[in-house]
Amino acid sequence: MEENTFDPDLIRAIFNLVWKKRAAEREKNERTETVEMGVGTSKKNRLTSVNANALKLSCELLRLFVTEAIQRAATIAEAEGSNKIEATHLERILPQLLLDF
Amino acid sequence: MASTSAPLHIIDDDDEFDWEAAVREIDVACQNTANGTSTNKSTISNSKFEFDSNANINSSPVQEIPKEGKPTWKFSSSSSSSTRQSTLDKFIGIVSNNSNKSEFQDRFGKNNSNANNNGDDMKGVAECSGIEMLNGCIQIDPEAAKTWIYPVNIPRRDYQFTITRTALFSNTLVVLPTGLGKTLIAAVVMYNYFRWFPEGKIVFAAPSRPLVMQQIEACHKIVGIPQEWTIDLTGQTSPTRRAGLWKDKRVFFVTPQVLEKDIHSGSCLVKHLVCLVIDEAHRAMGNYAYCVVVRKLMAIPVQLRILALTATPGSKHLTIQNIIDNLQISTLEYRNENHPDVLPYVHERKIELMEVPMGKEAAEIYNLLGEVARPFAARLSTFGVLQKRDFQTLSPCDLLNSRDKFRQEPPPELPQTKFGEIEGYFAVLITLYHIRKLLSSHGIKPTFEMLEEKLKQGFFARLVSRNEFLLKANLLMHQTVSHGAPSPKLAKMLEVLTDHFKVKNPKNSRVIIFSNFRGSVRDIMNALTNIGEIVKATEFIGQSSGKTLKGQSQKVQQAVLEKFRTGGYNVIVATSIGEEGLDIMEVDLVICFDANVSPLRMIQRMGRTGRKHEGRVDILLLRSELKGYMRKQVNSKAITKHMSNGGLNSFNFHSSPRMVPHIFKPEVQLVEISVEQFVPRGKKVKDDHLILTPAYETKLTNAETDLLAKYFCSTGEKDWRPSLIAFPHFQAFPCSVHSVAHSSMTGILIDTMQNLQGLSFSTYSRTSMTEDENFSNPCFRLEAEELYDQNTKDNPGYSAEEDLKTELPETDAKLVDISGTKDMCMQDIHGQKSGAHSFLFDSEFVSVDDLGRVLVLSLSQLPLVSHSKSTIGGNMEFVSNLMQDSSVFEASTKDIKENTVQVKGIFTSQTRSTETENSLPSSRKSNEKDSYDKDPKVEQNTISMALDDERNDDLIDFELSPRLTNFIKSGVVPESPISDSGISKGKGVDFMIPDFVSSPNMHSGFSMKCPQKADGDGNVNQMEVLASPHSELGTSPLHLDNHAPKSCQSPFSVVKETETPISKLSNTSSSKDWALNSGGKCESVEQPCKFRRLRKHGDLHPKIPSEPKERSGFIERLKASSVTGSHAAVDHVGGQKRTAKGATVYIEVEAEVSSEVMASEDEEDEANSTYDGSFIDDRVNPTAASTQAEVGRIDMMAIYRRSLLSQSPLERLPNFSTHLSLDSTVPSIRTDESASLKGTENHPLQTGLDSTDNENKTENHKRKLSFYQAQSIPMVNLENEFLLHSEAARNNSPSHARIEEYADIFEDDKFFEDIDLDAVEEQAIKLLRYKSECSMQNQARTSEPTAQNLEIPGSPSFDLGI
Repeated sequence: MEENTFDPDLIRAIFNLVWKKRAAEREKNERTETVEMGVGTSKKNRLTSVNANALKLSCELLRLFVTEAIQRAATIAEAEGSNKIEATHLERILPQLLLDF
Repeated sequence: MASTSAPLHIIDDDDEFDWEAAVREIDVACQNTANGTSTNKSTISNSKFEFDSNANINSSPVQEIPKEGKPTWKFSSSSSSSTRQSTLDKFIGIVSNNSNKSEFQDRFGKNNSNANNNGDDMKGVAECSGIEMLNGCIQIDPEAAKTWIYPVNIPRRDYQFTITRTALFSNTLVVLPTGLGKTLIAAVVMYNYFRWFPEGKIVFAAPSRPLVMQQIEACHKIVGIPQEWTIDLTGQTSPTRRAGLWKDKRVFFVTPQVLEKDIHSGSCLVKHLVCLVIDEAHRAMGNYAYCVVVRKLMAIPVQLRILALTATPGSKHLTIQNIIDNLQISTLEYRNENHPDVLPYVHERKIELMEVPMGKEAAEIYNLLGEVARPFAARLSTFGVLQKRDFQTLSPCDLLNSRDKFRQEPPPELPQTKFGEIEGYFAVLITLYHIRKLLSSHGIKPTFEMLEEKLKQGFFARLVSRNEFLLKANLLMHQTVSHGAPSPKLAKMLEVLTDHFKVKNPKNSRVIIFSNFRGSVRDIMNALTNIGEIVKATEFIGQSSGKTLKGQSQKVQQAVLEKFRTGGYNVIVATSIGEEGLDIMEVDLVICFDANVSPLRMIQRMGRTGRKHEGRVDILLLRSELKGYMRKQVNSKAITKHMSNGGLNSFNFHSSPRMVPHIFKPEVQLVEISVEQFVPRGKKVKDDHLILTPAYETKLTNAETDLLAKYFCSTGEKDWRPSLIAFPHFQAFPCSVHSVAHSSMTGILIDTMQNLQGLSFSTYSRTSMTEDENFSNPCFRLEAEELYDQNTKDNPGYSAEEDLKTELPETDAKLVDISGTKDMCMQDIHGQKSGAHSFLFDSEFVSVDDLGRVLVLSLSQLPLVSHSKSTIGGNMEFVSNLMQDSSVFEASTKDIKENTVQVKGIFTSQTRSTETENSLPSSRKSNEKDSYDKDPKVEQNTISMALDDERNDDLIDFELSPRLTNFIKSGVVPESPISDSGISKGKGVDFMIPDFVSSPNMHSGFSMKCPQKADGDGNVNQMEVLASPHSELGTSPLHLDNHAPKSCQSPFSVVKETETPISKLSNTSSSKDWALNSGGKCESVEQPCKFRRLRKHGDLHPKIPSEPKERSGFIERLKASSVTGSHAAVDHVGGQKRTAKGATVYIEVEAEVSSEVMASEDEEDEANSTYDGSFIDDRVNPTAASTQAEVGRIDMMAIYRRSLLSQSPLERLPNFSTHLSLDSTVPSIRTDESASLKGTENHPLQTGLDSTDNENKTENHKRKLSFYQAQSIPMVNLENEFLLHSEAARNNSPSHARIEEYADIFEDDKFFEDIDLDAVEEQAIKLLRYKSECSMQNQARTSEPTAQNLEIPGSPSFDLGI
């Protein structure tokens, strides 16, 4: 694990944002389906949280992911003789990248 | 003095002291002081009292209080009688607290200087301020304190009103029958304290979480305490969170345990507590959390109002007194159901005792159990430890009591040694009587279960298990249970229920069935399921999970209640958990399944109904229970006597603090309270969370924050979402990686994309998955077949396959197949053929897999022959799907003959020609498979079909012969045999012999060849065409044969010669041509090949510009990979699933192979150089040598290898191509499968004949062989086609050839259409680049095919190539 990985706080904040969104959506869906909800299916109302180690790990994973994405995209960009990674370069490597992770 | 009037009512003065007067005086003083202080200190309070800020109190009252209150002190300390004089209590409180609180005294000290006006008159003020300050800066809202509010939203009931008034001013125990609105009293009291003490905290404690949830809502509905101030705290909330909530909120609905913990931990701000409501106060016994809480609060001490609510304080005087003591109650408000206040509001509640006769069996068992118990009871009686009486009337309770007595003071005359025995007897008896009780109240089934359990261990088992009565009883129970005879109670209950729902609307009516025992809850549930639609029942049980029944979590419980309320269920079957507090208005029937519970609980149970309108309670009783029930009911009546008249005469009460100063005389104010909609809790919590500001935000720059906002909070318009489908072509080959290698999924994607570039649909993953499963499973075959079935269902193509297979046995199978494939083709515009192919191949692959599996197994065990058999059998099965049984595997052990016979039969049925004579089942199978493949091809190219037919008809033509060979390899073979049975026979023979021979070793391949050759010669004599296939098949080890099949073998030389001109070219470029041809044949095939090429090229690019080295390297790699693959295969044999590594390796191999194939010649050369294997004939070399530098026989080996490698891809191309392009599943499968699988797959797929042999060989050998075979096929095809092409190009004379060529070209066109021209070009370029070193021919070749492809008339290009 490298030193200069992502700031855990940042990652946590991002996670929380996503979870919040997700929870809000779930909430919306649930409201419509509450009546139908069977016994025992009620979900936790609490937001998801992440523990410190998992967060660290997530940071590392994300770092790997991002660096890998950049490197691959850079390869493509280089091959095209460009010094700048464009969105299209990313798009090219994205499917396989996603599958690799 | 209205304020004091209420408490004063209760005072009974037995002191001479004129308390009344004193209080009056104090109150007056208070008011005076208030005025005086206001004049004195303008800055502080006006006529209002600002107690927290006030400094206008002097200490004199404190000192004086004792004086004046001296009697009070005595009074309290003596605590003789009922002193509930709130004023005096307050004094006491002040004093005691003052002594504790130096701070307070300091303040008083300060106050001294400020206000010293009125001496005695200040007392009241001091008192007031003191009170409010005592618990820590709780201030009273003087304005609010002038009144107390009673809501009129709800129709007023006088008893509620009076009780509320009492409860506001003293600690009260409210005993009200169920359903009469205790909660309202609590809510009003809470609300008023909420108003009076803006800082105060109010706690409502209820014993269970569902009740907490229920009460929080009920209270809200009654008085509408703002929800932002209320919170429910249960064990679900984490302690840290609770600590925060204790600070933030003001009204808490808690479970007592939580309250206890939080008080203990200090997170509960006890100093702020002003009111504590205790629901179900009858639980306040012993060390229950209620008691602990109150004890702790009193020890601090805290002044607060305690309001205890219950419907059933207890059945004994002592218990009620305990409650009063534990909760520091000073007033008892009791209304029973017959009280005139309450009477109008009590709904009629019919209680019906239903006596249910005990079932005959049950009665018998009951008696038997009694018989069992009799001797033990008698023994105990003789020992004198059990009172002598009829053993029938004993109850577990009596026994327990007797035992306790015995334990405490055993009869002195008994020797110590007898004690154990007596203990044992007691245990047995207690168990027996318990069981009897269970039997009488719950029926046979739970009793039986209990008995079974008890018989497993302990005294009971030791002493009783042999007892004949017990055995008899046990047997009887067993019979009854197994017959499923319903217990009479259950039947009665069902009857009651159905009757009830006949009268009442099932939608509005609710029924609760109580049972004391979880086991019978289950039985009841089971019984209820038979009743039909109108009853929607669920169980409602506690949390603890037993052995047989799992408990319900509180969450589930709450959900049950919710649904019960809303009507999702109309019947709940509850254990004791449902007895208390559940406030469900609609319940109009309560059925007590067992009545033998305490009267307290019976009252609670009955209290569940009759709340809003009249209800009914049915108590199901067996006669044996009746007595106990009656006894208990009588008991409970006695207690009501004690409680009447406020219990003043029976109980000792405690003093309660006055919470509202005397200067305030709260008067009732009837108010219509507007209650906001109650919002269930979940939402609120979330809102709380959202307030948090992430810490990182402070660390981020604005730009970063904006970025975050852009991606996570934007509305979406600005969002740029990377597309995953923007560059499909880039996904057809692996992109370069940095530090993260490609995953197997990526490999699948790549393969898929390669196939997809033309077309495709299908569920790769599924097939792969299924295959994996197959591998993992020993009986993979069956699964595979099942999988096939599934596939067929899922995919039309698969179904077609299935059809084909199933139809194979039929004579018209081929036709059908063809038609089916045609249909398939017709359906899909694009690469339908390929799709069909792929499907076919898939099936084959599966079979191959199976075969491979089988082979591996057999390898370990059996000789080659057996392996071959097994493989054959596998093939047979697969092809026909008939052989689902493992017997097939067993068949492998059988003689080859049998297999052959079977094969024959199948083949006969399958093949039109009915040449059943084909001795080689494996070859047949392979042929058939090939034929399948071919069929689609043929269909694809109608022209080719025609040609094929013609060929079949005319075996004579040379050109046709290669074609035929090609076809044969590709699957036309069956047709050819049809045409010439004799040939086919010969082939079969040849195949058989050579195959077997060759299978053992590659070296043996030579010998193999020889016989094959001989056979082939014969065949050649008959039909050259046939010979070629023979050679291929027979000389599977010799890919040279494939290249120049005839050239390798002397007899075939003729063929060779014929071909040689072509073959020369072909040797170098044949592979390429072949690829092209194959591409022409099968569009799909070609495409994958090309893609692979591209891929490979891509890989090669960065690495090495020089081809030869690379290729050699590749070859080596391939070897390595093959080895690894073999290992993997071995592993598979072991039963392990193939590892991702193996898959990747395999993929790599494939890719390499394909690339090599693409640049086949160079590779071949290199391969020759690299490989030292000397199997191959020299003759092969000449052909190969023609274009390349050959290393002699060693080169042959190399060629073999190379061919294997290259062929494997090539083979795959035909087969695979279908797989890849058509069925992306195939590639995935392959990747998944181990290399061994590949080899095996290749074998069966490509050259069924050889494949069997190969399979017999060891894995490596197998692979090699398979590769050879595979090579041979493609090679031959190439050659043939090449020949055709060349011929066509040169001479248009042979119409057949021409036609064929055209067909090929046509196919090529299609193929090219499908393929990316760019890719082709790229390939070509790469090939050129890499192969520049190689001979010009190669280049020409490579360029030619592309050119041909591009340009429909390929003839010129051919010429160039030649």
